[in-house]
Amino acid sequence: MQLKRICWVFTLLIAATLSLHAGPTREAGKELFGANCAACHAKDMKTASTGPALSGVEERWAAYPKKDLYDWIRNSQALIGQGHPRAKELWEKYKPTVMNSFPGLTDEQIESLLLYIKEPVVAPAGGAAAGATEEVKEAESLPWFYIGLVAGLLLLAFALMRIVDNLNNVARVRDGKAPVYRTMREILTTKGAVAFFVFGLVLVFGYKTVDNATRMGREQGYMPTQPINFSHKTHAGTHKIDCQYCHDTARRSKHASVPATNTCMNCHAAIKVGSVGGTKELTKIFASIGYDPAANRYISDYENWNESQIEDLYKKWIGQNYMEKNSLPALDEAGRSTVEAEWEGVVNALKDDSNGKIQGPIEWVRIHNLPDHAYFNHAQHVSVGQVECQKCHGPVQEMDVVYQYSTLGMGWCITCHSETEVKFKENGFYAQYNQEYIKMHKSLVKKPESEMEKVYVEDIGGLECQKCHY
Amino acid sequence: MHHDNGIWVSTEDLSREESFLQSAEREFSVETIDQTDGKWQTNRRDFLKLMGFGLGAATVAASCEIPVRKAIPYVTKPDEIVPGVANYYASSFVNGGDYCAVLVKTREGRPIKIEGNSLSSITKGGTSARAQASVLSLYDNRRIQFAGKVKDGQVEKTDWAKLDAEVKEKLAAGGNIRVIANTILSPTAKKALGEFLAKYPTASVVTYDPVSAAALVAANEQCFGVAAVPDYRFDTAEVIVSFGADFLGAWISPVEYARAYSANRKVSGKKGAKMSRHYQVETHMSLTGSNADNRVQVRPSEMGAAIVALYNALTGNSGGPKVNDKAAAAIKKIASDLQAARGKSLVVCGSNNVAEQIIVNKINDILGNLNNTVAFNAASNQRQGDDRKMEALIAEMNSGQVATAIVWGSNPAYDYPGAAFSAAFAKVGTRISLNPTLDETTLLCTHAAPANHALESWSDAEPKQGHFSIIQPTIAPLFNTRQAEHSLLEWADSANLNRQDEQPYYQYLKSFWTGTLFNNQSRYSTPGAFWDMSLHDGVFESPSSGKSVSFSASASVNADAVSRPSSDELEISFYETVNIGNGQYAHNPWLQEMPDPVNRTVWGNYLSIPVESDGKSIKGWNNLEDGQIVELEVNGQKIRCTVVRTFGQTPGTASIALGYGREAGGCATGYGVNVNPLLRNEGGFTQYYLTGARVTPTGDVEKDFACVQHHHTMGVFKNDNKSVNVDEAVLAFQGSLTERSIIFQTNVKDLNQLESKMEEFHEHSGHLNSKTLYPTNEEYFGTGLKWGMYVDLNSCIGCGACQVACVSENNVPVVGKNEVMRHHEMTWLRIDRYFYGDIDNPKVVYQPMMCQHCDNAPCENVCPVNATNHSMEGLNQMAYNRCIGTRYCANNCPYKVRRFNWLDYTTADVWPANEERVFHGAGDKTPFYADNLVRMVLNPDVTVRTRGVIEKCSFCVQRIQEGKLTAKRESRAIQDNDVRTACQTACPTGAIVFGNLNNPESEVNKAQKNAGALAYQVLEEINVRPGVRYSAKVHNANEELFS
Repeated sequence: MQLKRICWVFTLLIAATLSLHAGPTREAGKELFGANCAACHAKDMKTASTGPALSGVEERWAAYPKKDLYDWIRNSQALIGQGHPRAKELWEKYKPTVMNSFPGLTDEQIESLLLYIKEPVVAPAGGAAAGATEEVKEAESLPWFYIGLVAGLLLLAFALMRIVDNLNNVARVRDGKAPVYRTMREILTTKGAVAFFVFGLVLVFGYKTVDNATRMGREQGYMPTQPINFSHKTHAGTHKIDCQYCHDTARRSKHASVPATNTCMNCHAAIKVGSVGGTKELTKIFASIGYDPAANRYISDYENWNESQIEDLYKKWIGQNYMEKNSLPALDEAGRSTVEAEWEGVVNALKDDSNGKIQGPIEWVRIHNLPDHAYFNHAQHVSVGQVECQKCHGPVQEMDVVYQYSTLGMGWCITCHSETEVKFKENGFYAQYNQEYIKMHKSLVKKPESEMEKVYVEDIGGLECQKCHY
Repeated sequence: MHHDNGIWVSTEDLSREESFLQSAEREFSVETIDQTDGKWQTNRRDFLKLMGFGLGAATVAASCEIPVRKAIPYVTKPDEIVPGVANYYASSFVNGGDYCAVLVKTREGRPIKIEGNSLSSITKGGTSARAQASVLSLYDNRRIQFAGKVKDGQVEKTDWAKLDAEVKEKLAAGGNIRVIANTILSPTAKKALGEFLAKYPTASVVTYDPVSAAALVAANEQCFGVAAVPDYRFDTAEVIVSFGADFLGAWISPVEYARAYSANRKVSGKKGAKMSRHYQVETHMSLTGSNADNRVQVRPSEMGAAIVALYNALTGNSGGPKVNDKAAAAIKKIASDLQAARGKSLVVCGSNNVAEQIIVNKINDILGNLNNTVAFNAASNQRQGDDRKMEALIAEMNSGQVATAIVWGSNPAYDYPGAAFSAAFAKVGTRISLNPTLDETTLLCTHAAPANHALESWSDAEPKQGHFSIIQPTIAPLFNTRQAEHSLLEWADSANLNRQDEQPYYQYLKSFWTGTLFNNQSRYSTPGAFWDMSLHDGVFESPSSGKSVSFSASASVNADAVSRPSSDELEISFYETVNIGNGQYAHNPWLQEMPDPVNRTVWGNYLSIPVESDGKSIKGWNNLEDGQIVELEVNGQKIRCTVVRTFGQTPGTASIALGYGREAGGCATGYGVNVNPLLRNEGGFTQYYLTGARVTPTGDVEKDFACVQHHHTMGVFKNDNKSVNVDEAVLAFQGSLTERSIIFQTNVKDLNQLESKMEEFHEHSGHLNSKTLYPTNEEYFGTGLKWGMYVDLNSCIGCGACQVACVSENNVPVVGKNEVMRHHEMTWLRIDRYFYGDIDNPKVVYQPMMCQHCDNAPCENVCPVNATNHSMEGLNQMAYNRCIGTRYCANNCPYKVRRFNWLDYTTADVWPANEERVFHGAGDKTPFYADNLVRMVLNPDVTVRTRGVIEKCSFCVQRIQEGKLTAKRESRAIQDNDVRTACQTACPTGAIVFGNLNNPESEVNKAQKNAGALAYQVLEEINVRPGVRYSAKVHNANEELFS
């Protein structure tokens, strides 16, 4: 009886796993998800990523009209602004991360998306997919599922062992021998059990070792404190300054380059007091390049100034602004401490053990570090591939403090190279590849005709070793 | 005695020596680790210790925080610098009289690579190994880093103002002042020197050259009234005769001559194939001799007699000494060849004997070559030294008449012949050195005022009259050094040097150009525009025209004044190598590790001895073998040196290179022997040979004799001379097969036969290769890009510029002598040297051999981790970080072009190990590439490989990617100019062409089509489908010569 019950449970489990099947508009949903949502939401729908896990989203919004969910997807900030209770609840949980707006999505497209979210394809195990999933937050339900599974299997094994013992004893009794009852301890110390245990340990530790080794040197989420509290949110978000205005080398060089101080001065020669930080951050730039904000001019022999000269100039500037802001005729106690604190900030930002001078470049902390054996060229991606900066760097325009958004792992690169279309018709370079080329790849890559209408980066050798390693 | 298949590499190859066959079987040196020395005995306990350490270290590393890296932008970014994008600046490579117009590639403000400047009509974009390597000497940590007094072998730091005051005081104190310099090419430097001489009337300049051509200049003064080297026109010469002048390797202006010479040597297709004929009369097989169509062997003392023989044959005279019978017969035939090409022939002579040079001038006069192939319109300034003045200086110094000596870029304590200099120099009161390193002469000085490296300097050059060339700095001085010219002007209290300027000498130079040179042209109307364009182009050429010379009646041709042949048993000659010069380039590890083209030895000079054959076996002279140490006794002096057997060495002679055995100043200290003290002076001119030499074996063998001749061999016979099939060969011979299609050669008159033979060969191998299960190349690679290379073996002269360019471009490590001895050299591109023809006096083919990028690559399918695989552009890719170092690929490579990082040569490893084994350089404690200064030369676009991985030629994939990106950004198809490999741009003769094989209009396709059936793939028959094609070697030998 016991055995029969166990068999039933198994059959049910297997049936449940196999019961997934495709719906009619799910395909469209998949494509939309890939294009719009996958950057922030995990594809398995069960893992929280930058955005929450989407599985069961309709159930969670079931208490409100369907239109609310549509509105939320199209423009979440608007809904939050309206004070929608579910929207506010989510905002509290996830702020300051803002969900991108998709005003262009039709109702039908959203339905397709929801259909896909409800029944996503089971992601293929291992390699590329694992690398591509952006695991920032801890995985919620998965470990418990596996722990439960392991516990169940252990129970099952134990039960089976008892059954075997019982059957053996039945046989022994029939042969006229005395039955043998093993204690739990004896069962657990049998060769088989120990071997199984050791095997399990090797498996778990092996997995962990490989997993950790893969992560070695990866710094996703790295968010160091910078010498200047520069906010991309203010510059790229609020003021909508083009990324390439400051990172101008991205389109023509392998490096995107941190802009030189003189680039900052293009605007900040005029904007001398910040909307958020006041004089606190901008004074650092002036002190780096030697700009006298009060007199609106560069100091000609700034190189030769000593520290107390510099200190006097900028303390005076900070003080003046403090007085203006608070309409004071002279510095009060709070003003004096503000001046001292801000000046200390300037010194800390521009001076360190290796650099004993205020004057000179600002030493930013580099966030995105590729290993030396990987060659990455911004110009290729920005100018030729016309990839949006945000594709790799995330919603920088929403970041007050920039962090490493992507894994920068090789699997992540490869996924993108397999999914990204080449500007095949737009770029004159590919004229030499002509139609013959596409025909050749149809036969070689054996992709369905419909997909070969498009040429992906991998089709022109984008996955070859020596495109990035040389 | 002729060899069976006509091609061989060495004596061992010819005589089937067991040891050679064994070594050819193995990919690498045979010694095991515990044989090497005591340091490397590993036992089980060491292994466990290391393993424990490794595990521990890995754990620590895994838990470590990743270090904080800084991104430091400019404060004010210069407009011309885009981080990550290279800038090129036109400049010149000048060292004494050596000259090459170059472009300097800089990245983020540091020079990393030298390219040729194609705007120069002298070098036409070609470079030499010396020019290529000059960027490394910029980052030499042995340069003197500040001014000071020299004491106890070191420079005591002082500041420049103090040094200047002290020097000026000494100069003002009176007494004779002598400036000792090598050839000065810079007109502005001469102007500065003029100011110095004007300020101090007792001062004068003594110029000499490390390897003298003083007799040539003196003879020209006598014959033509022009004290200069003529403008030799090798491109218009149909018959070239060289008496010991190594004009392709080291003589005067080899890049210029090689470019011109090769223009007449390219052969394509059978119709109307025409090429110049080149005779070389010499003792030791020089690079030029190895390229000659016919070599005539003479003993060095017979050179004069040989010249007289030619003169007599042309004029019917009969005076003067007699050359050996064989040579005499040959010279008679050469004479008739010359006469047939009147006005289109050229006779050059490398001897340093005025009488001989006068006869050569007369010969050119008789042949109507004057003002044709020997012109003086743009006479060369590249050798201005006068040995006689140097001799006089030594007498002057000995008699205490010199109060102050200034050494400017010369190193007479090392390279002046004999031993007289040092003792005489010590008698000079104040001795000031402007040299950049603490070399032998600077060590004898009292003051050091170190000059900048050329890449940190403003200067100019006038290598040929009317041809001006700019030198501009590409980096601020790394150390507290000062330009030599600036120092001289400072000491001369020059009013023309504006000391308030940031770069005073820049202004001084500019004023000469805009003030004086501006008037020599009419293209630019303002001096500013003229200066800007000159700086942009790097060169400004305004040669005068119509200057013709005639042979002066007062010059006396005296056949009896030439050197007298000696009857001694052994004579020894001294020669300048392609890479090291007479020691000026010795401290450059790239050049030290570039094998000598003929001997193929590295890191040292070796005594070349003739090879003897009795029809059965081949032996070295006196049964000496490679690597044996002998005692050379000559001129009353004894030196110990190592022997190397050399084909083509004249019987009864031995030769050894100048420039080695340096005692101070850099990493080459202690490598090889210094032979300058042996040299003798005759009639005021240094002679580069001695008679009456004796060689006695010592019984010792040099432990790390480093000759790459038998490394990476791919074409030897089996002992029984029987052919073996491919399978057997792979098992037993590591790809060393008999009758392999590595080299094809013929005389130009038999070109038709070779063409039909090669057509047959192509058909045969095509048939062999047609049986395949897989899609053909055309299907796979027929569209898009497919990279390929074509190497014209007729143009290749074996100079090694490409090899050093490759090292520079691709961060190929220097491994040092001991590692080369163990077959561990890392060069991606090697130049194989094959002999053919007469064993006593063979001809040579050079074959640059790099990864062949086979479409059916044997290396790819044996890699267990797929670290090497093929790209759809036809590149054989190597992913270093995937490589686990099984070396199966190297094993399976039929061309032996894969290199394994046996040790941590670049110190790229996380944990340093085996550092004591990698190259340090003499007296240095840190490994060469561990030094941060040296690492500045690394190309940031190429990974620095670590220990335990294979590396090989990538077809300069970083340049391919860059070229493609440029084309894509400009939205256009890729062109030939977008991608040029480092070896291609370095080549002075244009022997290497690279490009897209799928573009019918590409240079590489055209070149291959032009060559027709003469183009072949090495080992075409084994179906590996290489992406590199070579041309058959065609020579134009006069076959009557030795019949």
